[in-house]
Amino acid sequence: MSSMSAIPTMSALASTSEILLAVENVTLRFGGVTAINGVSFDIRKGEIRAIIGPNGAGKTSMLNCINGFYHPQEGRITYKGETRQRMRPYVAASQGIARTFQNVALFKGMTTLDNIMTGRTLKMSANIFWQMLRLGPALADEIRHREYCEEIIDFLEIEAIRKTPVGRLPYGLQKRVELARALAMQPDLLLLDEPMAGMNLEEKQDMCRFIIDVNKTFGTTIALIEHDMGVVMDLSDRVVVLEYGRKIADGTPDDVKSDQKVIDAYLGVSH
Amino acid sequence: MQELGSFLEVLISGLLAGVLYSLVALGFVLIFKASGVFNFAQGAMVLLAGLALVRALDFLTRLGFPGWLAIMLGFVFAALVMALCAFLVQRYVLGPLINQNALTMFMATIGATFVIEGVAQFVFGSEVYPLRLFPTDAWIAAEATFPGGILINKLDVWGGVIAGLLVIALALFFQYTKTGRALRAVADDHAAAQSVGIPIDWIWFVVWLVAGLVALVAAAIWGTKLGVQFSITFLALKALPVLIIGGFTSVPGAIIGGLIVGAGEKVAEVYLGPFIGGGIEYWFAYVLALAVLMVRPQGLYGEKIIERI
Repeated sequence: MSSMSAIPTMSALASTSEILLAVENVTLRFGGVTAINGVSFDIRKGEIRAIIGPNGAGKTSMLNCINGFYHPQEGRITYKGETRQRMRPYVAASQGIARTFQNVALFKGMTTLDNIMTGRTLKMSANIFWQMLRLGPALADEIRHREYCEEIIDFLEIEAIRKTPVGRLPYGLQKRVELARALAMQPDLLLLDEPMAGMNLEEKQDMCRFIIDVNKTFGTTIALIEHDMGVVMDLSDRVVVLEYGRKIADGTPDDVKSDQKVIDAYLGVSH
Repeated sequence: MQELGSFLEVLISGLLAGVLYSLVALGFVLIFKASGVFNFAQGAMVLLAGLALVRALDFLTRLGFPGWLAIMLGFVFAALVMALCAFLVQRYVLGPLINQNALTMFMATIGATFVIEGVAQFVFGSEVYPLRLFPTDAWIAAEATFPGGILINKLDVWGGVIAGLLVIALALFFQYTKTGRALRAVADDHAAAQSVGIPIDWIWFVVWLVAGLVALVAAAIWGTKLGVQFSITFLALKALPVLIIGGFTSVPGAIIGGLIVGAGEKVAEVYLGPFIGGGIEYWFAYVLALAVLMVRPQGLYGEKIIERI
């Protein structure tokens, strides 16, 4: 394997104080339903930020706002110092926001490798004519990107399923391929929507290890939604808690764990 | 020997006619592969392309342009019309339907069909316009081997050559380019495709443009054969059994399916016709398709669908 030269190595780094993404007073409505109601929080460069909350709290809607699938009616989202009214998914992707989905969204008919290669779409440059002939600049381009994808495949330990159509893979591996595709984009901000849902203990441990490795080796900032509290408390630097579209707590895992509102939200409270 | 000679003649003319079915089927396959949508409007697009081409040719010839220049400009004009059509369809019909299910989009293309047919005839006229782009006479081949030789239409040969080139180009495009990979990605999952930065708007425009250009080629050849007229839209119906036989997602499948339908219906007409009455050509393709559906529902080259229950 060629060295990881293409990948910026920022070992030893944990979160910094620089703010990568700031969400201010964001409100998102679908007709009469308010999915997110005046929520503000920020994500610091290099940290692992968890977004938690009961079902229907607006967590996935929040990710969808950040990467431009939804456009909030009110509020502002500032990414890399630039404030946008409406983020388009294409712009989000080209500015380094990658994501995975709650209910695995892979290209089922394509192989693992091809799926991961789609993550390189925005980085490929050779023109269509050369691409069709697989000659000249296109061939060099394809090889370069293929090499990068192979590094990711090594990293996530999915060599054995490289040529398997992803529709045939078990769920846990599909989630891993989805992570691989997102990593192929060399993202600055990685949004993970329930990366461990539906996994067994062993698969969860693997996934935890990969998330930490991604954060430490590539210096990627990660925002993740997860229901497994043990995982959230272990992984994340800071946690934001949503309930019914509102923010009810924000802070370190320890702060959040002992917050009365959070305990009420999760355990229920008698009125 | 005479027997074999006439069989070959029927078979060859059938295969070459089949190539023309393949051309129409190709347009369907392209859009299906890239958006998972069965594009009902393909037949209407062939009509639009044909009308734009033939009317532009008439106009330019009347202005006194030399033949070859008129033909080139005519094709450029028709290609521009197809590009405009692709743009409008993407912008106003499919664009608002991103992330909707395939049936919704299929219904939208039915709507688009009527608009395209109507506008095409409103703008370019609704008569039968003869088109003379390719030679329409015939060769007599292999006279030494078979008494009377084998009759081969030059137009059919042209059609075959052009379709072959198109297929090679399209297969390379889909298999080896990043745009091709992006097309397949969009067909599988819109949201996921958007998340890796594939611009769906642009991809759909490209697909409809390519399908429009394939329609233009089909229109040029079919128009020479039949004249450009409204009934050319019914070609779309002939493409259906071709697609079922070849598989909706396969470019080579469209070609093989076309050949099977073309050859099958001609051979059946000549050899089966006398026993069960003529006119077999009109329905034989559908019987073939039905047989394939029963044995191999995904078509000969289609992707096998395995559903978990």
